[in-house]
Amino acid sequence: MDAVVAFLISIPISPLLSLLFEGIDRKLHARMQKRIGPPVLQPFYDLIKLLGKERIIPATASTRIFEIMPMVSTASSLLGASILLSNILSNSNIVGDLILIIYLLAMSSIALIVGGSASGNPYSAIGFSRKISMMIAYEIPMLIAVISMAFGPSPSLAVSSIIEFQVSRGLPLVASRLSMALAAAAFLLCIPAAASVVPFDIPEAKTEIIYGFLIEYGGPYLALAKVSKSVLNFTLTLLASAIFLYIPSLLGEAALLNLGLSLFLCLIVSLLIMFITITVPRTVLARLKVGQALKFYWVLPLTLSFSSIILSAVNL
Amino acid sequence: MFRVISRGRIKSPWIFHLNTGSCNGCDIEVVAAFTPRYDLERFGCLLVGSPRHADVLLVTGPVTRQMLPRLIRVYEQIPEPKVVVAVGTCASSGSPFLGSEMIEGPADRIIPVDAYVVGCPPRPEAIVKGVVMAVMSKFR
Ligand code: SF4
Repeated sequence: MDAVVAFLISIPISPLLSLLFEGIDRKLHARMQKRIGPPVLQPFYDLIKLLGKERIIPATASTRIFEIMPMVSTASSLLGASILLSNILSNSNIVGDLILIIYLLAMSSIALIVGGSASGNPYSAIGFSRKISMMIAYEIPMLIAVISMAFGPSPSLAVSSIIEFQVSRGLPLVASRLSMALAAAAFLLCIPAAASVVPFDIPEAKTEIIYGFLIEYGGPYLALAKVSKSVLNFTLTLLASAIFLYIPSLLGEAALLNLGLSLFLCLIVSLLIMFITITVPRTVLARLKVGQALKFYWVLPLTLSFSSIILSAVNL
Repeated sequence: MFRVISRGRIKSPWIFHLNTGSCNGCDIEVVAAFTPRYDLERFGCLLVGSPRHADVLLVTGPVTRQMLPRLIRVYEQIPEPKVVVAVGTCASSGSPFLGSEMIEGPADRIIPVDAYVVGCPPRPEAIVKGVVMAVMSKFR
């Protein structure tokens, strides 16, 4: 498929898929607590409702930043998701798009906290500082895990060439080398913090600082923030399934010819990743403190990602 | 188009719960309505902590003099369209406290109330039904 066509298709598809994923996540979460749970389409209903509500801008807010930042956040996470999705759909080769995607995802979180803290509410200021500490905790191991790709068996930072490498080997990247398995583990451990779900939902702790930086957002702004967050979660899981666990590669060359089928398999894998890294932790664990989260991320995932780089230096 | 919006509103009422001097009996029952046995979330309800996110205001208690300005303020902080449900006999009619000079309520003397759930405290099923009926009648 042509790269431009694929990109244009993936712009509307990625928010739809991510809202669907969020609905499935909420349903699974409810079933694990023995509840009936909301319908799978619940995020769509929430979105429609929020878009139709009144817009309120608090008197203490600096209006422009408060208004614009949710849009910036949604735009950047949407762009990241579409670049990733169009890469899987079309094998177009953009050099270094892996770094671009990670950067856009970080950008979307930062835009949201900047907008939130422009509201002038003290809780959003607390949320802001907590989110910055959390980003220091998880962004570094995550970035190193992604960069270790450049030292790995397929020395590249382009999603499509990593996918092609996996297809030519007939194996997902985690299975090909020990170093890549470690990098994948570090990346997966970073997903719950990047998605800020319960053990690491410190910046928006609902029962503690009342959603932190989201506290003053309501109506359409909240809708944009919700979309941005769910697209971000979706992109993270899809990225993990595309660069580390590209299961369609087991089909061999057919994976590159049958792009629809491989996208479908990829989505199934990312659903599984979402279940393991987002749904299960948020159901069974309790919230940590910032210090504990920082310690966790700088002990386990950072060690894993560093050892992945060291191992790939000696070709393991 | 209009039907889509009203369906979205009916399907996702987010609840903000305000205690205006309740004895805590009603508050416990509100929380009980979200437990696995009654599971208000199956109607799309969420218990939110900020009035900016809410659609439904659950008022419990007979609105004491201290809570009067706060009740009005929280009501105004909720973006339109919104629904108010008075939970418990205190919030509905002021019941045993009616006539006390510490009481400014019941709630409907201060803000428009769309549904009353009576009982002292009401059962969680009744709260669930009250929320769903109020949302259905207001947003249809
Ligand atoms: S109705 Fe009964 S349970 Fe509820 S606040 Fe009043 S006295 Fe307490």
